[in-house]
Amino acid sequence: MTPFKELDPLLHSQLRLAIMSILISVDRADFTYLRDKTEATAGNLSVQITKLKEGGYIEVSKSFGESYPQTMCQITRLGRTRFEEYVKIIEQYIKPEPPK
Amino acid sequence: MENEEKLMTGEESLKVITAMINKSRVSLTQSSFHLLFWGWLIFACSLSEFLLWKLTDFATPWYVWFFVIPGVFISMTYGFVKGRKQHVFTYATGIYVWAWIAFLFSSVVFFIVHSDHMESVGKYMLLMAAMPTLISGIVLKFRPLIWGAVSFWVIALIAHFGGNIIAGLAMPVAMITGYLIPGYLLRTKGSHDTI
Repeated sequence: MTPFKELDPLLHSQLRLAIMSILISVDRADFTYLRDKTEATAGNLSVQITKLKEGGYIEVSKSFGESYPQTMCQITRLGRTRFEEYVKIIEQYIKPEPPK
Repeated sequence: MENEEKLMTGEESLKVITAMINKSRVSLTQSSFHLLFWGWLIFACSLSEFLLWKLTDFATPWYVWFFVIPGVFISMTYGFVKGRKQHVFTYATGIYVWAWIAFLFSSVVFFIVHSDHMESVGKYMLLMAAMPTLISGIVLKFRPLIWGAVSFWVIALIAHFGGNIIAGLAMPVAMITGYLIPGYLLRTKGSHDTI
């Protein structure tokens, strides 16, 4: 039986996984959008975005919208690869390979 | 979603992923503005050209098409201003926007290449406009727009075989079927539709 691989600790957290799941399905999304969809508090979301950014999983750019700053997040190539690996491992956990 | 460090089971992880992907749908609320704006502008230009040709001695009725130039700037400015307020950009939004930008570039090149035969451009413009209209209909999952694109192809054929008067009226009729009817239907649906 193939041993289970260890889950990426940066992704295996509810809010960070939620952020990454949103960013993998859109081109880019701003802080307000992520906050609305995840229903997280601004402070908590901000902390998790910073962790993902420091891990190189997302890119964060700041611009000035109408009259307020806009924080736009986009998944990186590394983030996409890590997310796909994470999903594969999760699938393995749920449906382990049958013994040969 | 507060307890961000809570340990999840495999099933819980998949639930989070599925729930978030399902939530990440966005409406293209700008679409009805562009359809209605261009529908009315082209309708007015094409009908004016036809009436000038039939009812007056005006030598170059196609001059009315110069109104399209400020139309491009108005449309682009509206798109840019609205785009800056947008909180999310999906891949579908990109396909939608670039299909229309490609149509704009093709039209500019076409007008330059075809500048000596301006009286017969209508059917070719309909053929070109059918493509981004169809793509928009598919991206928005909005059937009236798909039928609008089909109407462009049918009307282009009719314009080609139907003689001068039918060819002259083809564009205003196509604007009603391809842009105005889908545009008003899209507007009444509001932002409930998602892509």
